Amino acid sequence: MDEVLLSVRGLRTEFVTRDGVFAAVRDVSFELRRGEKLGIVGESGSGKSALALSIVGLIEPPGRVVAGEVELNGRRISGLPDRQLQLVRGKEVGLIFQDPMAALDPVKSIGDQIVEGIRRHRRHLGRREARRLAIELLREVQVPFAERRLADYPHQYSGGMRQRVMIAIALANEPDLIIADEPTTALDVTTQAQVLDLLDRLVSERRTAIILITHNLGIVAEFCDSVHVMYAGRFVERTTVEQLFRAQAHPYTEALLRSVPRPDRLQRGPLPSIPGFPPSLAHLPPGCSFAPRCPAAQEICRDRAPATVELVSESTPVLAECHFARERLRT
Amino acid sequence: MSRDQASLLQVEALEKRFVIRRGPWSRPLVIRAVDGVSFQVARGETFGLVGESGCGKSTLARCLLRLIEPTAGRVIFDGVDLGRLRPPEMRALRRRMQIVFQDPFASLDPRMSIAQIVEEPLFVHGIGSREERQAQVDATLELVGIEATYRDRRPHELSGGQRQRIAIARALVLRPELVVLDEPISALDVSIQAQVLNLLRDLQEQLGLTYVFIVHDLAIAEYFCDRLAVLYLGAVMELAGREELFRRPLHPYTNALLSGVPIPEPGRRRRQGRIILEGEVPVLTDHRGCRFRSRCPVGKDRERCAEVEPRLEERGPGHRVACHFPGELVTARP
Amino acid sequence: MIRTVGGRLLGSLAAIFGASVVSFLFLRILPGNPARLILGPLASQQAIQQQVRLMGLDRPIYVQYLRYISSFFSGDWGFSYSNGRPVREVIATRLPASIELGLYAFAFAFVAAVVLALLSTYRHRPVVDGTVRAISFFGLGTPPFWFGLLLLLAFSQALHLLPGPEGRLGPAVAPPPTVTGLYTVDAVIAGQWGTLGNALQHLVLPAVTLGLAPFAYLVRLLRVNLLEVSREQFITVVRSKGVGRWTAYVRHALPNAFLPTLTAGGMVLAQLLAGSVLVETVFNWPGVGALVVDSILRQDYAVVQTFILLSAFAYVALNLIVDVLYGVIDPRVRTPTGAR
Ligand SMILES: Nc1ncnc2c1ncn2[C@@H]1O[C@H](COP(=O)(O)OP(=O)(O)OP(=O)(O)O)[C@@H](O)[C@H]1O
Ligand SMILES: Nc1ncnc2c1ncn2[C@@H]1O[C@H](COP(=O)(O)OP(=O)(O)O)[C@@H](O)[C@H]1O
Ligand code: SF4
Ligand code: SF4
Ligand SMILES: [Mg+2]
Ligand SMILES: [Mg+2]
Repeated sequence: MDEVLLSVRGLRTEFVTRDGVFAAVRDVSFELRRGEKLGIVGESGSGKSALALSIVGLIEPPGRVVAGEVELNGRRISGLPDRQLQLVRGKEVGLIFQDPMAALDPVKSIGDQIVEGIRRHRRHLGRREARRLAIELLREVQVPFAERRLADYPHQYSGGMRQRVMIAIALANEPDLIIADEPTTALDVTTQAQVLDLLDRLVSERRTAIILITHNLGIVAEFCDSVHVMYAGRFVERTTVEQLFRAQAHPYTEALLRSVPRPDRLQRGPLPSIPGFPPSLAHLPPGCSFAPRCPAAQEICRDRAPATVELVSESTPVLAECHFARERLRT
Repeated sequence: MSRDQASLLQVEALEKRFVIRRGPWSRPLVIRAVDGVSFQVARGETFGLVGESGCGKSTLARCLLRLIEPTAGRVIFDGVDLGRLRPPEMRALRRRMQIVFQDPFASLDPRMSIAQIVEEPLFVHGIGSREERQAQVDATLELVGIEATYRDRRPHELSGGQRQRIAIARALVLRPELVVLDEPISALDVSIQAQVLNLLRDLQEQLGLTYVFIVHDLAIAEYFCDRLAVLYLGAVMELAGREELFRRPLHPYTNALLSGVPIPEPGRRRRQGRIILEGEVPVLTDHRGCRFRSRCPVGKDRERCAEVEPRLEERGPGHRVACHFPGELVTARP
Repeated sequence: MIRTVGGRLLGSLAAIFGASVVSFLFLRILPGNPARLILGPLASQQAIQQQVRLMGLDRPIYVQYLRYISSFFSGDWGFSYSNGRPVREVIATRLPASIELGLYAFAFAFVAAVVLALLSTYRHRPVVDGTVRAISFFGLGTPPFWFGLLLLLAFSQALHLLPGPEGRLGPAVAPPPTVTGLYTVDAVIAGQWGTLGNALQHLVLPAVTLGLAPFAYLVRLLRVNLLEVSREQFITVVRSKGVGRWTAYVRHALPNAFLPTLTAGGMVLAQLLAGSVLVETVFNWPGVGALVVDSILRQDYAVVQTFILLSAFAYVALNLIVDVLYGVIDPRVRTPTGAR
C-alpha cells in the first residue's frame, strides 16, 4: 500500500455571521494515500468547499479554521504562516474549482495566468521557458491550437476549455495532491466525460492523489477508490466505493443512493426520497444531525450525537456515525 | 403517426433565429437556436427534450408558449394554431398552458408573499372573487405540499426545494392542461430532486396533466419521460419512446450522451466502452451536411455526411433518427 | 471594436455640436441686446443699430451660428469687454493655472483614493476600514472653502510649513519662461529648480483642497468595487497557485475593480480642470473659475460662451481617452467573444 500523503485530524471551520456561527466543517478527520482517488459527496451547503479551502489555509474572514491539524508529506502545514503555506499551494497541492466561468481573471490572458503559477514556484525559469511549459500544459489538457490560444483571454474560451485551463494551472508544478471541487458540475455530459478521463490519466501516469468533491454518485462510482459522505459538516460514512454501494452503514447514505434515478433500472414507482431539508449549520439539532429526517431515528438519536463506529464489512473497513451502524451492516 | 384526437400539442417545423449584430460594418450573425423541430405530444403523456447546454431547449420551450415569437413553423395546441390567434385569444389560451422555469431563485419576485405569487395568475386572468381566489390558492399550496403557515412568507425565507414547489403551484393554480417544465430540478439538491420529481408525478396523475419536460440529466429523463427527443444544435437528432431510445439508441450523438452518463454502481465501470466525443458544441450558423459531423466518430470523414443533411426518418416503431448511418455506433447497455 | 470606436466618435461630435448650440443660444436667450451690453446703457439707438449690423445680429439665425462656429475654429473667440482684451488672450493667461492645479488635485485624489481603498479592503480590518470610511464621509461633506481656510491656518499661519494665499508663486519669484504655461513643467524645462520647488509648495494646499471631494468620491467607489472583486472566485484561484495575498490583490483585484471606476475618474478630472471659484478665491489662484464667475456677474458673455465650448471639448476628449483605456485594461472590449 502506498504511503500516507495527507492526514487531516479534527479539522473545524466556522463562519461567524449576523445569523449565528455556521460550523461548516465540524471535527473532520481522514487520511489519503499517494495515488488514491477519494470522493467526497454531500449536498450543497454540507461543507465540502469549506473543507477543501481549510486544508490549504484559504479560508477568508468571516471564516476561520478554529481547530485541527493538517499534515502533508509528513509535515504539518496547518497553522503555518501564510508565507510558508504559499510555497505549498500550487506546488504540492493543486486546486480545481467548480465554476470555470468565474475561476479565471477576466483581464489577464490565459497564458499569463498559467505562467504566474509556474514562475511562482520556479523563479529561475525565464519568461520564455515558462511560456513553453504553459503551451505544453495546454497541450496536455487537450486545448486545441495551444500555441495560438495562449494569448487569448478567458471570455474567448468556452466553459469546457476554461475548465481544462484550470486543470492545467493545477498541474503546473506537478503537485502530489489535487483537490477538485465539483470540477464537472457546470459542464455537459460529453465534456464531463472528457475532463474525468483527463484526471484519470493523471493518476495513473503520475501517482497523483485526488480529492474529488461532487454530489454526483455516478461520478464517484466510476472514478473513485474510496468515498466519504458529508452531511452537515461531518463525515457520516467513510469507506471504499465498492463497500458503499454494496451496503450502507448510515441511513443518510442509503437514502441518498436510493433517491437517485438509475438509468439502468427502469422502475416507474415513486422515487424513494428523503423527507425534509438539510439543517442549518448555525442551528443544528441536538443529538444526531440527521435525526429529523432519518427514518430509523430512535429516542437516543435525538439526545446523543453518535460517535464514530469502526466496522469491518467483508474485510473492508467502514467508519460511520450512527448509533445503529453496527446493526445495520450486520443485517 | 396520425394526428389523432389524443394529441394535445403539435409542433411543425418550428424555427427560431436570433440575429446578432456585431457592428455596423460586419455581417450580422444568424444563430439558429431552433432549426426545424417537429413533434407531437399526446394528452396525459410526458414528452422529454434532452440535449446539452445551448442546444435550444429553453428557446424551444418559450416558442411553444409563444413567450417569444418563432421565426417560422407552427404550434398547434388542441387543434388551434397559436400563430393565428389574436392577443386576447392567445391570452385566454395561456390559461391552459403554463411553464415552470429552471431557476427557483430567479423566477419568484422577492417582494411578494407566497400567497400573492400563487394568486397572481388568477388575478391577471380575472378569475373568481377574492375569497374564491384565496380558496384556490390554499388548495394549490396544499397540493404541492406547502403548509398554510407559509402563506405570508417571502421567497428568500424558503429553501430551493420549497421555492420550486411555489413555482409549480403558481403554474398549476390556473389548472392548465399542458405544463412545460424547463429543467425544474437542475438547481436542486440530490435529496430534494426526488421529492420534487415525485410531486410532479403525483400531480400529473391527480390532475391529468400533460408535460413537456426539459432536462439534461439522462438518468432523470429515462425515469420520468414517456417519449423523448434528443436535440443537438437546435434540431431533433432522435425521437423515440423511452424503452426504444434507451435500449436501442440509433444516433451516434445519443449513444455518446448515454455512454457519458456515469452509473452509480461500481464494477459497472464502462470506461473501456465509453465514447468520448472530441471538442465541444460549436455555435451553429450556416452549415452544410450533418450538424453533428464535426464531433461524430462515425461520419467525421464520410463524404455523404459532409454533403447531405440527414432527415429525420422512421427507423423503427415510433423511432425516428436523423443520421445517414444509424446504429453504426452502439454502446453496450446492461 | 469598429462599432465602439465609430459610435463613440459620432457621440462625441454630437456632444460638441450640442454644446456649441447651447453656448451660441446662450447669448440670444439671455435678456438684453448683446449690442447694448457691449456699448453700455448710454449708447444711442443709432450706434446700437450699427453695432447690430457689425455683429451680424440682423442675419438669419443659422447664418449667425455658422459664423460663430467658423470664427471659433479660426481662433477668433470674440472680445471680452470687461477685460478690454480678446477672449483668447484672457483665457490663455488664466487657463494654464487651472489646468496645473486641476492635474495636481487629480493626482492627489487618485493616488490617495487607490492607496486608501486598498488599505481599507485588504484583509478585513474594521479599524482601518472604519477610518477610511470616516475620511471619505468627511471629504464629501466638507465645504472646500472652509477646508482650504483650515489648511491655511494650520500649515501656513501656525506651522509655517507652506506658503500662504499668494497665488502660484511667492512674491519674490519670477515665473519661468512660458512654454506650456504650467509653472512646474516650465521650470523643469528651463532648469530653474528653485522656481520648481516654490511652485510645488504653492500647489500643495490648493490641490489637496480641490481634490478632497473627488478623492472621497473615488475612494468610496473603489472600495465597493474592490470588496466585490475580492470575493470573486478567481482571487481564490490565484491564491491557490501560491501567490501571496497582497500580490493577488494588487495584480488581480485592483485592475478588475478599476474598470467601473474609470468613467467616474474621467469625469472627475474634467471637472477639476474647469477650476473652482471658491478654491481659487481662498488661495488667490488666478484660474478660470474666478474668471468665469466674474464674467457672468459683469454680463461679459463672450468669455462664458467660450468657456462652455472649451469644457465640452475637454469632456469629449477625456471620454475618448477613458474609452481607449478601457480597451487597454479590459480585453473583453478589445476582442469579440469567441465561443458561446
Ligand atoms: N435572446 C437571444 N439572443 C441571441 N441568442 C440567443 C438568445 N437566446 C438564446 N440564444 C442562443 O440560442 C441558443 C439556444 O439557447 P437556449 O437558452 O435555448 O439553450 P438551452 O438548451 O436551454 O441551454 P441550457 O441547457 O444552458 O439552458 C444558444 O446558442 C443561445 O446562445
Ligand atoms: N463566506 C461565507 N460566509 C458565511 N458562511 C459561509 C461562507 N462560506 C461558506 N459558509 C457556510 O459554510 C457552509 C458550507 O459551505 P460550503 O463549504 O460552500 O458547502 P458545499 O461546498 O458543500 O456546498 C454553508 O452552509 C455556509 O453557510
Ligand atoms: S444516529 Fe439515529 S438519527 Fe442518526 S442516522 Fe443513525 S439512526 Fe438515524
Ligand atoms: S449523418 Fe453522419 S455525421 Fe451525422 S450523425 Fe450520422 S454518421 Fe454522424
Ligand atoms: Mg461547494
Ligand atoms: Mg435552458
